Amino acid sequence: MLVEVRPVARLRSPTPVDVAAALGPVFDGLAAGEVDLSRVRIVCDWLQYKNNFRNVVDVRALCPAPPTGLGPPARGEQVDGIEVAVDLRRAPDADLRALTAAALHLSTSDSPAGVPLEDWCAGSGSCIWDFNGLYWRALDRWEKATGRAYEQALPGGESDARNLAGVREIISALLDNCDRLDERRAFPDELYVLELGVGNGNQAKVWLDEFRRMDAARGTEYHRRLHYLMCDYSPYVLEMARATVADHLEHVSSFVLDATQPLAALSFLQYKVFLVYISNVYDNLPTDEVAHLGGRTYLNQVRAYLPHAAAGALADRVGAGATEVPAVLGKLLKLGPELASEAMPLQLPTVDDAVEFWRQAWAELRLAERYVPIGGLDLYQVAPDVDGEMLRPFLESGEDIRMHVNNGTVASFVDTLRLLHPYGKLISHDLFVTDVGAYRTGFKGPGKYEGSVVCWLNGPLLAHIGRRMGYDVQYAPFSHRTGTNIVTMTAQARD
Amino acid sequence: MRPVPLPLLPTTVIGSYSVPDWLERLKTDYHRGRLSGTQLESVHEVAIKAAIKDQEIAGIDIVTDGELRRDNDIDYILSRLPGVQIDGPAKSFYYDYYQAEVVSGLPVDEPATVGLADDFEFARRQTGRLLKVSFTGPFSLSRRLHDRHYGGQRDLVLALARVLHSEAAGLAAVGATMIQIDEPFLAGYPDDVALAVEAINVVTKDVDAEWGLHVCYGNRYARPSWEGHYDFLFPAVLDANVDQLLLEFARKGYQDLEVVARGGWDRKLGLGVVDVKSRRVEPPELIESRIRRAADVLGPRNLIVNPDCGLRHLPADIARAKLGGMVAAGAAVRAELLLDAPAAAPVDASPVTVPAGSAAGDGTG
Repeated sequence: MLVEVRPVARLRSPTPVDVAAALGPVFDGLAAGEVDLSRVRIVCDWLQYKNNFRNVVDVRALCPAPPTGLGPPARGEQVDGIEVAVDLRRAPDADLRALTAAALHLSTSDSPAGVPLEDWCAGSGSCIWDFNGLYWRALDRWEKATGRAYEQALPGGESDARNLAGVREIISALLDNCDRLDERRAFPDELYVLELGVGNGNQAKVWLDEFRRMDAARGTEYHRRLHYLMCDYSPYVLEMARATVADHLEHVSSFVLDATQPLAALSFLQYKVFLVYISNVYDNLPTDEVAHLGGRTYLNQVRAYLPHAAAGALADRVGAGATEVPAVLGKLLKLGPELASEAMPLQLPTVDDAVEFWRQAWAELRLAERYVPIGGLDLYQVAPDVDGEMLRPFLESGEDIRMHVNNGTVASFVDTLRLLHPYGKLISHDLFVTDVGAYRTGFKGPGKYEGSVVCWLNGPLLAHIGRRMGYDVQYAPFSHRTGTNIVTMTAQARD
Repeated sequence: MRPVPLPLLPTTVIGSYSVPDWLERLKTDYHRGRLSGTQLESVHEVAIKAAIKDQEIAGIDIVTDGELRRDNDIDYILSRLPGVQIDGPAKSFYYDYYQAEVVSGLPVDEPATVGLADDFEFARRQTGRLLKVSFTGPFSLSRRLHDRHYGGQRDLVLALARVLHSEAAGLAAVGATMIQIDEPFLAGYPDDVALAVEAINVVTKDVDAEWGLHVCYGNRYARPSWEGHYDFLFPAVLDANVDQLLLEFARKGYQDLEVVARGGWDRKLGLGVVDVKSRRVEPPELIESRIRRAADVLGPRNLIVNPDCGLRHLPADIARAKLGGMVAAGAAVRAELLLDAPAAAPVDASPVTVPAGSAAGDGTG
């Protein structure tokens, strides 16, 4: 039996986590069952997200081959072993012996832990990303229901993208770059700046105001050539952003686009964009997780479900049986609260009812997990044009690891690099893991943040992929606010 | 200079061929010390045979070894030159450039050391087709070589040219009849064309072969390194002792055909007809229209049909499809031209002949 304790820093904190107290009852719970104890891994995490997708104790099967059925491995079906995951943050208040025994029983039982909302799938294919998408599409509805705007929910009360000192630093570097090209008569007629994920447009406004002011102060005339492209997933958000930058509209264009494939809308800008600005977008894009355990590489598969009690409560709310809840929810995720209310007047008589149903389901949603072996890294697709070979350096060390692939981010990043002018720069502020070893010492998501999914980003993987494409990718702590986890990533061409 | 008899609209590749993921991985493993040089050489030989076979199946008239032994366009030559020091030979990606510096004089009038003749002889045993050898020219090599000896760009470029001349002479001695110099950095330094041409003429001097010069806008990591137009080449390039000028058009458009015509280029032109930076496979009809347009501007007799640049960054299936489309388009336009040709002035449509000593002919490898 292997025991992996990840939040090691908390063993020495002023209020140290009591691993011994947690492990004893887990051992007892395991010993009471029939599981082959020599094939058990116990993984202790400390889930910093108050709202997340896990139970205090979860059990995951390590499958020797992709299971034939969609449920847990059938009785008699071989597994390589099981992983018992324990959340040390919630452990002191829980009956870990009973929870372990129950989770163990469920992992081998034919009846699932709750009402499943989907089949087993890679993490990036889970319906949690449909919830995430709905949150951004219907942000106004969510904000109305909670009574607070998204930015107020952020740790600093505002997006780091609006930090004035940070914006000035970026513009100053851009203007220096323009000067260098201008001296060589190589500065093009258009100065394209691209922002992916514009939110309410405040970042764009700060940036445009400062650019105009700094350009005028330097006596250069780059502002005349400026084209600021605001891009967002949501037409509603873009309209809000356009209103915010009303003073600059002659220099602003807006595009509705999926952040995971910017080239789909912007291919005409290939190799032309001088600055790409992305703040708090990447952590919100679909991701798989892969693991290297005991010398074998696995894809972490998930299945979203609602615990029986929660499904029952939701069913009562819509006057249906618990088994009908997934269908109602599926329709709601597809249509959004307004149309869903129109389409299902009996179950969701008002838009507010639809929003409450959505929010309650989101709060209760859990992810069951299992590990399925990957037959060959080249067969695993990280993103279009990027196969699993890119993961090899991180998985081949021989040490056990479980890490994010950040498929949506990789797709977005690779596409965006193709937009960059040879002297262009991509800047992103986000939650980057800058050392793969951090996956062995802390929980990096996914968690729930309001109605969205939040997931840290595998910085070394992005750097590796960028490097393979001929870009230097650097990480530095966000230097304009203390006490933040935000890291600044910059990517620019080398050679 | 020995012009090689070619059919109308012969097809060729620029040099490099698709590098499969597994080969990339093994090359990188070699640089990290996890694969021996002996094993890597064996892998290279298998990959080269496959690359040549792919080109043959596609119907390419003038094939290459795909440059599959080379990590990139620079390191293979620089790392084999006496007088060049490599800073830290380990690479995290095989495709990375070494940091190279010249610390003592490069060899003068000494036998070739890079091994291009050996590479040619190996490839020649694999094919009965006309085989072209390409290597990076002295100007581009100089841009990746830190000078701690010569004290001036011109002296360094010419010293490199003399080394490459020895390589070229060695190639001709073992039967190479078509040799191409690549200058992928030249477009970034348009003011230096005269120096580049001077150096090219040092390389080609008294080497009995048909010579080509390839100038593109860069293909590092499948993206352009420079932008602009080919007018910077003229009139200096007219002084280059080469028979072919092979240029990039498909990605940039064909406006520069007029630049070439206006510049007075009356020798063979290698016409880039497929974009190697895009995975979209061009339909043959599109390629045909590109060839026709070039034929209208420059006449068909001196046209060679080729990709914009090396195929290194394309997956093999895409590379094969692009080459197939290129060959089909060339054949279609050739057939049109032959039908249209007046009897009094027949267009040469004879198949490629393999000059004596250029191919083993058994193709067994």
